Amino acid sequence: MKSKTNQVIIIYILISMFVAIVIHKLLLQYISNENLPFFTFTKDLLFVLFTGLIFKLILSKNDNRNVAIFEKLKNTNDEIKESNEKYNIVAKATSDTIWDWKIQEDSFSWNKGIESVFGYKEKDVDDNSNWWFDKIHPEDSIKMSIRLYSFIEQKTENWQDQYRFRCADNSYKYVLDRGFLLKDDTGKAVRMIGAIQDITKQKEEEQRLKLLETVITQSKDSIIITEADSSDAKIPNIIYVNPAFSIMSGYEAVEIIGKSPDLFNSPNSDSNELKKLLAAIKNKEECLIETISYTKNKEEYCVRLSMIPIYNLDNELSHWISIQRDITDEKKQEREKEQLIRELTQNNKDLKQFSYITSHNLRAPLSNLIGLLNLVEDIPIENQELQEILSGFNKSTHLLNDTINDLVKVIVIKDNPSIKKEEVFIKKIFENVFSQLNFQIELHKPIIKLDFEKVAIININKAYIESILLNLLTNSIKYKSENRKLKITITTHEIDDTVVLIFKDNGIGIDLVRNRDKVFGLYQRFHNYPDSKGLGLYLVKSQVETMGGTIEIESEVNKGTTFTLTFKNRQ
Amino acid sequence: MLDQILCIDDDPITLMLCKKVIIRSSFSNEIITSQNGEEALNFFNTIKYTNNKTNPITQPQLIFLDLNMPVMGGWEFLDYFNSTEFEEFNTIKVVVLTSTIDPEDLEKSKKYPMVIDFLSKPISQSMLEYLKDKLK
Repeated sequence: MKSKTNQVIIIYILISMFVAIVIHKLLLQYISNENLPFFTFTKDLLFVLFTGLIFKLILSKNDNRNVAIFEKLKNTNDEIKESNEKYNIVAKATSDTIWDWKIQEDSFSWNKGIESVFGYKEKDVDDNSNWWFDKIHPEDSIKMSIRLYSFIEQKTENWQDQYRFRCADNSYKYVLDRGFLLKDDTGKAVRMIGAIQDITKQKEEEQRLKLLETVITQSKDSIIITEADSSDAKIPNIIYVNPAFSIMSGYEAVEIIGKSPDLFNSPNSDSNELKKLLAAIKNKEECLIETISYTKNKEEYCVRLSMIPIYNLDNELSHWISIQRDITDEKKQEREKEQLIRELTQNNKDLKQFSYITSHNLRAPLSNLIGLLNLVEDIPIENQELQEILSGFNKSTHLLNDTINDLVKVIVIKDNPSIKKEEVFIKKIFENVFSQLNFQIELHKPIIKLDFEKVAIININKAYIESILLNLLTNSIKYKSENRKLKITITTHEIDDTVVLIFKDNGIGIDLVRNRDKVFGLYQRFHNYPDSKGLGLYLVKSQVETMGGTIEIESEVNKGTTFTLTFKNRQ
Repeated sequence: MLDQILCIDDDPITLMLCKKVIIRSSFSNEIITSQNGEEALNFFNTIKYTNNKTNPITQPQLIFLDLNMPVMGGWEFLDYFNSTEFEEFNTIKVVVLTSTIDPEDLEKSKKYPMVIDFLSKPISQSMLEYLKDKLK
């Protein structure tokens, strides 16, 4: 402005001087001395008038220019103001933390974000770049600073980086930092402004998704994702297959994406199952089928596959997920198992038939022998030796008959898994058993203690319990101790829903240390008694178990044996 | 005492035993035997077609029937005997006398109306006493 003033004044002086000289020269030529004062005065008036006019011209011109400049300045100022306001609004609105770095001075400033996002108070924040670098996770800082300096040196075009930034509470946040450079006239970077975005949540979500994704990519089951809609009653087109699927089917992902899984069908696919699948797709329902599919090389494999409809937030079907498993081996094993079961069932049936036939064929001649011996009984025999022979013959025949009858019982029990049960008075059963053993009881006179006060009635098969008790009682008498009087105690009591019958004697016992696993076995004999066949306890156990009960034994050599029979007292 | 009994069994010793026991316990006057079902059916056919003569052939009142026999077994015999062809003999009672223990056989025998009992060999005097009571 000042120079302008000087300029105006200099121009004015120069013009005034020029005019003064011109007027002086003119006056010297035209005017005489007598008129001098008048002309001088006129000249001065003209001079002032003329220069005044010129001065005004210059000033008004200058004034116009000044107004223009002022207008321009004002506009600029308004623009700056507006821009500033905008910046403030944006800075407030954005969640980004903005930093401003004057590189040469190493002066660093932050916006409010450094407190609101990272928790640093104003006093904690230093105004240099070291403070910034210091907060970057050691694992990220080298990589980050290399990229940053290569940007400042303008070797790279853009700069944005992800790193972990330490917060005031020493935790780290994942951040995305984006910046730009301000350059001076020479093109040298003087200032850098950046915006840090907290992407911890995205990063964590990303990691979570990555983890979830591993389920699909690492799964041994094949996983296919298809579109929601299908055309021409086909299975919807594939948009994703996992690696396991490629292994199972032989198709690479790129080969089948965009195609319908229909192409896996083989001529041996189960058409009913496929219909089921298509119906489920039509009705947008989940479904599970088993069928046979082709691999890329047209090899068949058995597959169990589910189709699960996936709905988006608006509750519209968005995709289908299909999980598939190759069950070829499983199926093969199943078939082998079924075959085995069929064979075993047949074998078992054959054996059962065999045992009936054998027993019949044994019993037929044996019954003849017994019938004939019965006839001989009525014929008086004089010859002593013949009498002895016939007596031995008789004994052996009856022993053989007993054995075969026992075996027959076993066969019948084993063949008859469900038997009729009824309410039975235990006391009545014992009366029957005692009458059958009347002879032996009279002979040995054992002390028998019965206590059925707690439970008098058991829901059981009458014939079986009679046979069981007959066997146990016969054993007690057969294996009684020679040194003491036989004592048998039989009691019943109830535990929860079960009836427990305890049968205890003081006989010679069984060495359970040696024989525990054989006690209830078939043809197991523990004492060398002539008429023991090793069948009794086997029969007892079979009968107990057929009635849904259990039997346990406790025994000590030369002290006695205790049997504990447990029966469910309900149907 | 019964007038006539028919024993059907392939085993000659069983038949001999039957005869002896029946005679001893005075169960029947006469005992006739067949070796299998077919022979027995032939016997009944003979009765059937010669019946028009003046003195008719006596019919057995009871049959002891074995099950396992060659040519024609007991079941097959019962099937024929139960048919309309032998209708005129349907008053004759049958006792199955066998050494089988298959429970299914017992159940099966109950389906034939003429079978009054299913007994285990050997035949004995006490068995015949029991049958006497039953037939009264």
